Amino acid sequence: MSRKKKGFIPALALLMVMSIVLSACGGKGGVEGTPEKPVELIWYTIGTPQKDVDKVMAEVSKYTAEKIGVTVKMSMVDWGDYAQKLQVMTASGEAVDIMFTSSWAFDYVQNARKGAFLQTDDLLKEYGQGIVDTLDPAFLEGSKVDGHNYGIPANKELPAQEVWRFNKKLLDKYNLDISKVYSLESLEPMLQKIKASEPDVYPLAVDKNQVPYVPYDYVIEKLPMAVPLNTTDFKIVNVLDTPEMKQILKTMHKYYKAGYIPTEAATLDSLTDLQATGRWFADRATSQPFADNLWSASYGYPVVSTPASEPLIYNWSVMGSMQAISANTKYPEKAMQFLNLLNTDPVLRNMVDSGIEGVHYKKVNDNVMENLDESKNYDMPTFALGNVMLTYLNTTDPANKWEEFKKFNDAGTKAPLLGFNFDTSKVATEIAAVNNVKQEFWAALMTGTVDPDVYLQRANEKFKAAGLDKVMAEAQRQLDEWRAANK
Amino acid sequence: MITWEPLDVFSKTSTKNKAMLVMVLPATLWFILFSYLPMAGMVIAFKEYRYSRDGFLASIIESKWVGLQNFKFLFSTNDAYIITRNTVLYNVFFIVLGLIIAVAMAIVLAEITNKKLAKIYQTGMFLPYFLSWVIVGYFVFSFLSLDRGVVNRIAGSFGIDPMNWYSDPTYWPIIIVVVFLWKSVGYNSVIYLAAIMGIDKSLYEAAMIDGANKWQQIRNITIPMLTPLITILTLLAIGKIFYADFGLFYQVPRDSGTLYSVTNVIDTYVYRGLKSTGEIGMSTAAGLYQSLIGFVLVITSNGIVRKFNKDNALF
Repeated sequence: MSRKKKGFIPALALLMVMSIVLSACGGKGGVEGTPEKPVELIWYTIGTPQKDVDKVMAEVSKYTAEKIGVTVKMSMVDWGDYAQKLQVMTASGEAVDIMFTSSWAFDYVQNARKGAFLQTDDLLKEYGQGIVDTLDPAFLEGSKVDGHNYGIPANKELPAQEVWRFNKKLLDKYNLDISKVYSLESLEPMLQKIKASEPDVYPLAVDKNQVPYVPYDYVIEKLPMAVPLNTTDFKIVNVLDTPEMKQILKTMHKYYKAGYIPTEAATLDSLTDLQATGRWFADRATSQPFADNLWSASYGYPVVSTPASEPLIYNWSVMGSMQAISANTKYPEKAMQFLNLLNTDPVLRNMVDSGIEGVHYKKVNDNVMENLDESKNYDMPTFALGNVMLTYLNTTDPANKWEEFKKFNDAGTKAPLLGFNFDTSKVATEIAAVNNVKQEFWAALMTGTVDPDVYLQRANEKFKAAGLDKVMAEAQRQLDEWRAANK
Repeated sequence: MITWEPLDVFSKTSTKNKAMLVMVLPATLWFILFSYLPMAGMVIAFKEYRYSRDGFLASIIESKWVGLQNFKFLFSTNDAYIITRNTVLYNVFFIVLGLIIAVAMAIVLAEITNKKLAKIYQTGMFLPYFLSWVIVGYFVFSFLSLDRGVVNRIAGSFGIDPMNWYSDPTYWPIIIVVVFLWKSVGYNSVIYLAAIMGIDKSLYEAAMIDGANKWQQIRNITIPMLTPLITILTLLAIGKIFYADFGLFYQVPRDSGTLYSVTNVIDTYVYRGLKSTGEIGMSTAAGLYQSLIGFVLVITSNGIVRKFNKDNALF
């Protein structure tokens, strides 16, 4: 025994000395987070990884070190992998300071409740005043979870408007008129024409993520609980039981059988390949002012669109793009300072968005720029990186683009469930089971691959068995409470 | 100094078998790191997992205990039954058919007198084993695609209506089994072929002198000599009967929802659950259920083998 003790004491002493030396080393440099000794923020964001990210971030870091004493390391995760990868990363407590979150990828509300994000109420007051001043108040208000903010929404279009998009080359070739198009049914004559004349083109491009538009506001995206947009009593219904959904699924199935929709739609991950080759005629997308310019520039051929719904402000459009501070960040103040700068400083915002001036883009005048060839190595999703209204215009954009955005935002009316966030913790078991059922039937039904007369009933039976009624009852209870509190 | 007899024996045997112990070391470390250490994570199955800002371990410790709550979603629909049935039934078919076909192929290959031709067949059968399931998935898709697939094209030329393979579960049990066998039989037959090559040639010579024909030689020499190997490989396969080949059940049916009733197995179910809800507790619960039943199955099947033939049992 005594021999063991002897070995133990020197080891302990060594450990103590080491820890003193190490901590002394750490303290020598003075205060962290100054231009001389910046702290590094790790930033995870969504989008196809770009070759020049590190190069651009080196420039960004020079600028931010000078301004607020931080450097930035950005990691991009591809669209399809983002939610999954970030879920695993936050669950295992990996070091992240800032991360992209939204209603549609790496679910904001759910993860805020699980404790993935830092609550930012006080930080916003202290270091984020610029954000509070520039953002449309509807954004911060609409993205509150249980009364607190956990993320910084990007300043962008507030309402969501569904549109039909068309490949203009084909429209012109067959001299088709889109001015009367609005409903899914109204597309039929055109689809027929294209199917008959262009065998290599998909008349209606649909992938497995698409859901036909029905005038309902979903409680949780892509789960069949919703209230009608014109509701007065706020009664939650199973959207699969509504006449509108039944009708539109019937039409989708008809189109599928007629060969208008890609045969493998229910298993198609994305339409990227179709868009790259231009072998599509029409599809549906969510729009913003002058979106046609954006799409045309991105695909390399003209795209035009026409409305398919009214512009409405939904929960999911308010939370469509946000940056949150990780709950385990070491530098919460610095992270908020950086987000504040990102949303208020045009130099930083455009550097993050378009890269290095003279390398990736050149300026035409004060707020208009043109992409250079190198921009293919740094093509970022503008909407996902903070305040879009600071970004330089493209040469094709009208000078009043941002005024139009503001008008569009002011004109948007609120969807019935705006501001209501369903707390699923009491029905987590049922939600998991309902989700499993959804995966089994959803894509096949929504893409028209299967006959709704047969499969709707099967799906509904299984949803019931999985406990959808209980989930709906709980949602209804919370909704009634929320309405009483917000009268 | 304290002496303890088992420790003494241990140190003596370990110095004696130093070389052997060093050889097992990598595998032992691997098992400790990737199989035994993560076992502690089982507690997540009984917790409502919430993130803590002090990292993963703190998250586990601070999360609330919820008892068997996480297991409920498995059994609230008939999902638990379907995925268990699918996993076990498919594996039973894989084991039985895989064994028969692999042994038959090995015997046929061994009997081919033209050695060059035998090598060509063997390589051809072996090749699919090296393909990834993603590639196999596209390969199958080129056969079964609704409008461009080979099968529908051929059927079309006979005037048969094209069939939407990826939304009709009827034929998928057969498709899955065929694809699995196509990919794995070559590999297994090579193992059996090696064993056949090791059989003493004088046995066959003696049999021929006694006037035994080819069929009698196979039945009375080759198969009995292969029995120990067959037992061990089958036992190992039964041990994994609760583990499905994720790629086969996820990539080959292209994750098509309408096929879940016949393609959903425990592994894909856990993966999808984690992917869509991010509830780690529930995924862990499903994983634990899989391990537990698998454990029971291995112990039982090994027990049965022990009863019949002690030498052939694994432990």
